[in-house]
Amino acid sequence: MPPWSDFEPFIVSGLALGGVYALSGVGLVVLYRATGVLYLAFGAVGALGALTAWSLGQVGAPGWVTWLTCIAVAAAVTLAYGVIFGPALSKRDPLVKAVATIGLTLILYGLMDLLWTTSGGEARSLTLPTDNGGFSIGQIQVNWTQVIALAAGVVITAGTGAFLRFTKLGTAMRAMANDREITATLGVPVRKVEAAAWLGCGVLAGIAGLLLADLVALDATTLTFLVISSLAAVLIGRLHSITVTFAAAIVVGLLHDLLTPINSLTNYRDMTPFVLAAVALLVMPRRQVMAQSREEA
Amino acid sequence: MRAHIPALKALKVPSAIQARRTRRTIVLAAAIAIAAAGCSSSSSSSTTSTTSTPASTATSSASTSAVNTSQCGTKPGVAATGTPIALGAIVTNQPGTSFTDIPNMANAYFACVNANGGINGHPIKLYIETEQTNPAQIAADAKQLVDTDHVVGIIGNTSIIECSVDSSYWQKLGYYIIDSGIAPECYSTPNSAAVNMGPRYSSDGAVQYALAQHVNKIVFDQSNVPGTGYIAAGPDALAKAANVPIVQLTENVPISDADSVAIKEVDDAGPDGAVVLNFTPPEALVILQAAQKLGLEDRVKLWGCSTPCNTDFLAQSLGPKWNSKLFVNAELLPPDVTNTPTMSLYKAILKQYGSAVSGGIGSFSQMGFTEAEIAVHALEGITGAYTVASVNAAFKGVSNFNTGMLCQLWSYGDYPMHIPNNMDSTVTPDNGKMVTAQGCTLISSVDPQVAAYRTAAGTAAMAPAS
Amino acid sequence: MRDTITRAAPSRVRQKPSRPQLTRAAIITVLLLFTLFALPQILSLYYVDTMTQVAVYSMVTLALGVLVGRVGLVSLGQVAVLAIGAWVAARLLFATTQPYPLILLEAGLITMAAGVLIGLPALRLRGLYLALITLMFAGAITVVLATVNFPNGGHGFTGYNGSLVHIPPIRRPAAAGTDPAYFRYSVIVAILMFLLVFAHIKTRPGRAWAAIRQSEPAALAAGINTWFYKLWAFALASFITGVAGGVLAGAVHYLYSIDFPTQDSITLLAVTLMGGVYSMWGAVVAAFLYQFLPALLNNWGVSADWLIILFGLGVLQVLTTAPAGLVDQVPKDLARLGRLLRRPRKTK
Repeated sequence: MPPWSDFEPFIVSGLALGGVYALSGVGLVVLYRATGVLYLAFGAVGALGALTAWSLGQVGAPGWVTWLTCIAVAAAVTLAYGVIFGPALSKRDPLVKAVATIGLTLILYGLMDLLWTTSGGEARSLTLPTDNGGFSIGQIQVNWTQVIALAAGVVITAGTGAFLRFTKLGTAMRAMANDREITATLGVPVRKVEAAAWLGCGVLAGIAGLLLADLVALDATTLTFLVISSLAAVLIGRLHSITVTFAAAIVVGLLHDLLTPINSLTNYRDMTPFVLAAVALLVMPRRQVMAQSREEA
Repeated sequence: MRAHIPALKALKVPSAIQARRTRRTIVLAAAIAIAAAGCSSSSSSSTTSTTSTPASTATSSASTSAVNTSQCGTKPGVAATGTPIALGAIVTNQPGTSFTDIPNMANAYFACVNANGGINGHPIKLYIETEQTNPAQIAADAKQLVDTDHVVGIIGNTSIIECSVDSSYWQKLGYYIIDSGIAPECYSTPNSAAVNMGPRYSSDGAVQYALAQHVNKIVFDQSNVPGTGYIAAGPDALAKAANVPIVQLTENVPISDADSVAIKEVDDAGPDGAVVLNFTPPEALVILQAAQKLGLEDRVKLWGCSTPCNTDFLAQSLGPKWNSKLFVNAELLPPDVTNTPTMSLYKAILKQYGSAVSGGIGSFSQMGFTEAEIAVHALEGITGAYTVASVNAAFKGVSNFNTGMLCQLWSYGDYPMHIPNNMDSTVTPDNGKMVTAQGCTLISSVDPQVAAYRTAAGTAAMAPAS
Repeated sequence: MRDTITRAAPSRVRQKPSRPQLTRAAIITVLLLFTLFALPQILSLYYVDTMTQVAVYSMVTLALGVLVGRVGLVSLGQVAVLAIGAWVAARLLFATTQPYPLILLEAGLITMAAGVLIGLPALRLRGLYLALITLMFAGAITVVLATVNFPNGGHGFTGYNGSLVHIPPIRRPAAAGTDPAYFRYSVIVAILMFLLVFAHIKTRPGRAWAAIRQSEPAALAAGINTWFYKLWAFALASFITGVAGGVLAGAVHYLYSIDFPTQDSITLLAVTLMGGVYSMWGAVVAAFLYQFLPALLNNWGVSADWLIILFGLGVLQVLTTAPAGLVDQVPKDLARLGRLLRRPRKTK
């Protein structure tokens, strides 16, 4: 086992990685609570927005325009998907709704590779102005982007949790996610609430996409399938508790990086999210819910 | 996902059916729209990129516009109209890894030759098969080229695993291929000779340079794609011969956590050590940028990288902190500082015929140019029919050819293995461009494979270009 | 075959096969004979190699179709199971000189054991959770494979020698070394797997699965041991996929961990849904989508990205409008087209 001082820098980088997982993970849980859909295309729409922002930056658009475009693109695609396919699938069980978002993921993934081809020597990268400042913890420099990512995770966790619980719109969203038809009969403007939920989630995906493109890599494959690793935190939170998801994401990131200096395990450290999720799901007690699709009623 | 029970359908509100029909129409319309868009845009495997080309194309010297590309052929201005000579290439093209620039540049060279006399009046037709690192697909592609397209020679192959999958097939049929190698078999079999050095020997060059700067430890980190053990054996031998400890690491690509990778490399190397990378440009960039963001770039004596890092694009993306800090092995002569007629011709052909080459000036297009150059030189020496036997005998017979792009003269020859490019230079970024840090240097014979080749090929292996 | 789902308690009396059933059986036999004997002669080697892949993956989509269509379990990790089967087969092929059918059987059984080991804890979950946990297992297996690598003739448990300068190919059966011969071999193995699934569907497991798909609480109430039959489905799917992995090893000669990425399981699910999960023919359609179309497009110089987009659209279409997939939709659409074409004549 390496000495403790070897682990120190990895604590910092692990927290940063945890922030990355938290952004996606919390976003996914918030979406699930608000719409009833596990939005697996979260990473793909974020990547689409980030690549659009990159292209605009290449032709000289100022930074803030590119960031707004990133968020707008992600929000638009998400809203379109939600409004078109939300009602159609509302009565199906959550598994079907999640698989449908896989369809959207594939469409976006193919589109991105077509529009932003991989050419041999070119490597795209997205940088934010907050990359250039920071402070040191021990021997490691932390830049402001990483701080923003972590802070964004905290704000989203606290903010959306409170929004969903205490505001009228949030409550309407939760009701709709649970049962659309009954909510409609109660007089809630279902289409508007649905649109608001999807729009909000699209904005979240855009913000996350921008930050992740900077922190991880501006690469369609990496960003689209990063959602698979983030699912670990989502599963540990049982698709319900945003706070637990956030905490789980931090733990996953920390553990992943802390394994790096251990030579016998370092090649397997990418397994961390999957192993933790499997252990958590199988060991922790959970409510026995038999998913009954509405069709059987 | 259950089939709707018919009885319930009758109870549904009509608007739901209407909505469903609308959705189906939307899905279909979207499909048609995308298909229409696809049909209108280029549908070839080398799709034109909407991203901007690297700025390095703007730095090409003014003389390119004055260079007459017609010197590529034997009869300037005369288009070739005879029966085509069919050649083939297999190239990896998948999200994240695309080598299509190499055969596309070879095709550009052939287009120039075809417009200026061809090969004794015969145009060259290059069939390019793309693959996604799937062995079944690669084997099928080879059969497509031979059985259906009836190619008489293979030039321009660039694939992560093609050499492993097809080498016994080429041996059986008697094809002597000219390629840009990656897999071990590209260098260790009689039927493949590469214009580049490949990951192992290029990493040798980078490690050799680091050892020459008297570092006291080497960390060699590479992407976890097929052949890591084979690649690592070269740097291992070099480090052991110099009595310098070496740490071998691999990373799964694509890298999603570059921070931990950079920290581990720096920690393992120590302040007087060197970190040498062997990754594709996007992955190497991600690691180096992470090192910079973490403030780690000065924590080791120097950083090294194998040839894929040798692009101006990388130099620009990295910024000035890496000037004389990152040393990249250059398998081919650096285009920005080599002002020979061949280099000017390369830039001119790229400009005039190379619209499908999205990477612009850089080692990939240079490799494609060099391979085409060798092939044309060989084909021009053939008298009589262009058959599998005559073309491949000509390829194999190339000897001491000055390509103008390499440190050495290039030979194929009748040897059990081929490493014809075993001499390289080292470049370093300098404010957005790659400049020479060390001129042409032989790769050390301490690498057993290099030693074996030099024994087999005799002194021809060492001949530097004049 | 869809009748199995809605039938409540099928009678044990064996009925004489009806005329349409006999015709269907005859057509299937003719098609199979054509595929086995005539097809390799007609097609170029490029397409023979492609069709071998279709045969291999039709077994994988068959296994996935059993899980999704018959039992209602979604697995997002089928490609990882295929990788396990291929790994075991490759290790045995290099280490022993056993005959090929024995190795395929062993690969299937060991993969089945692995599938049961995963299924034992995983089947305590349902629906979306089950799907996601299979994805997590697949992700973990993929990482392990990337480090351990596929056997390439080396020694030791992993059979991987990283420093090889010449990698030996994985052997094929002595009688089926050429590409057309191996194509026939893989078609025969595929037929055997389809027959295995057919036998399951027509007997007790098939009825239990139908009951579980209809309504799991009702099945439980009827006294069916749902957990056992779900595990059986997992075991069957893993066995078939393991055998497919063995056939794949011989087909490709060289195995690499980068050929089995986690996201391929997602694409596999997409094509299986598109092909149709309620019919065994859907598995064949899905395999064509997954292997034949890309090869065709590659030949025409069209980017494979269009296919990915098509698969995404296909998933959305299947889930919203055509749950039974192409196998059900295309005949219906053709029938509708036929009616449209016939109508003008009627009104005259």
